Amino acid sequence: MTAAILISDVLIPFIGTLLLLTPAITRPTVQFGVRVPPERTGAPVLRDQRRAYYRRAGAVVVCCTAAAVALAGHGSWWLPKIVLLAEVAAELGCFLRARRKIVAVKNAERWFAGLRQTVVADTSWRTDPPRFPVRWLVPALLVIAATAAVGAVRATGPRPVIGIVAGQAYVTALWTGLLLLFFRARPEVEASDPAGSVRRYRRFLGAFARAMLTLVALVDLTLLLSGLRAWHVFRPGGIGGDLPAVPFIVGLLVLAAVTVRAGQGGHRLPVATLGPARAPAAAVDRDDDRFWKGGVIYLNRDDPALMVGARVGAGFALNVGNPAAWLIIAVAVAGPAGLTLLLYGLAH
Amino acid sequence: MLLSIEPDGPVPIYQQIRDRIVEAIASGSQLAGSVLPSTRQLAVDLGVNFHTVNKSYDLLRQEGLLRLSRKSGAVVRRDAASGPPDPGWAQEWAVRLRTMLAEATAQGMTEPDVIAACRAALASFSVPEGE
Repeated sequence: MTAAILISDVLIPFIGTLLLLTPAITRPTVQFGVRVPPERTGAPVLRDQRRAYYRRAGAVVVCCTAAAVALAGHGSWWLPKIVLLAEVAAELGCFLRARRKIVAVKNAERWFAGLRQTVVADTSWRTDPPRFPVRWLVPALLVIAATAAVGAVRATGPRPVIGIVAGQAYVTALWTGLLLLFFRARPEVEASDPAGSVRRYRRFLGAFARAMLTLVALVDLTLLLSGLRAWHVFRPGGIGGDLPAVPFIVGLLVLAAVTVRAGQGGHRLPVATLGPARAPAAAVDRDDDRFWKGGVIYLNRDDPALMVGARVGAGFALNVGNPAAWLIIAVAVAGPAGLTLLLYGLAH
Repeated sequence: MLLSIEPDGPVPIYQQIRDRIVEAIASGSQLAGSVLPSTRQLAVDLGVNFHTVNKSYDLLRQEGLLRLSRKSGAVVRRDAASGPPDPGWAQEWAVRLRTMLAEATAQGMTEPDVIAACRAALASFSVPEGE
């Protein structure tokens, strides 16, 4: 499977559908990145904008997928990428439009006026922290070791082996590091149900980390299969040519399934109640919209947190008001650039 | 322990953190010897400056409720079962109580109302009457 076909056949419908599903994954109290009090989650504007978003974004996914299929084989290699970019931009436009309408009603009707806005922390999160699923890292490490071993025997020179193993090591190290930071980040505690939300968040964090480590192992496997093809261990013919992409696609589907099942911070997970929450019942989560730019980027210089739970969809977001976040972004960007330079240096 | 603060409320944040920890000790959810998160961890969890949490912990240390050390971190030093308060503490507390009662009296609360409110507050900490 070539990169262009992978993008047109898999990524365009997959990413489009995932973006389409974000309102279903996101908590009812932060739909489209707008914080609303729990008693307003059934407000007509939220219902109407959610429906409008599904309608518009759904049309975008269908149109872009149809365009990608129609253009397959007829354009340049970059054409599917342009379609993918256009799809993401169009869905972002649908998202921002819905968000703007909700914010307008929220501000006009002063939804948070008179409410006790609180931030709740659970100290047991630090005294009894969740355990990182280290064992789920083993498959990725085994795939890297297998790549190095097979490459040493079958590759014609050191360059392709180092390139693929370095790529695998980069993906594995980057995501393991990010997940470790995510485990140390603060949990999303809801003021309306602090104890229940923390227990759901624990389950979500474990499931999300396992799904991400599975995806990492499968990405490493995709790279290994590409290597095996390049080293002529197997000769692709017909559908066999698509084989390297299969693990990557399976990993994406696993991650998507876990994300949709658990929901943002695990809010869709059923958790038996342990009894009354200790926080005052009248309290609601603090209206923190001013720290979320466009509803997706977290910028709060007064918050020492480096990483927080994503506002939209499931996962995490960096606090770009924290200088260390820019260090992480720099490392993530510098990795592929460094790999390219390494390969270039080895080639010349 | 679930620690709830109002970042935009009128009470300073360090005071709110200190009050919630005192309440947790009184209600028995934090017993003597319990370990609290480090100042940096609690600051991250509440989204406040680390110096704010530091100030709360230092206040609790001065009041004899916390023990702070580099090795063991912040540990609850005493609880309701640890015996009578340190010498001089009750007199200092009586001064603050007098101000609280003066506020209630000035606002027109009757003696039975004040006593009923005090009983309700004590009952919420599960402290048996008469102790």
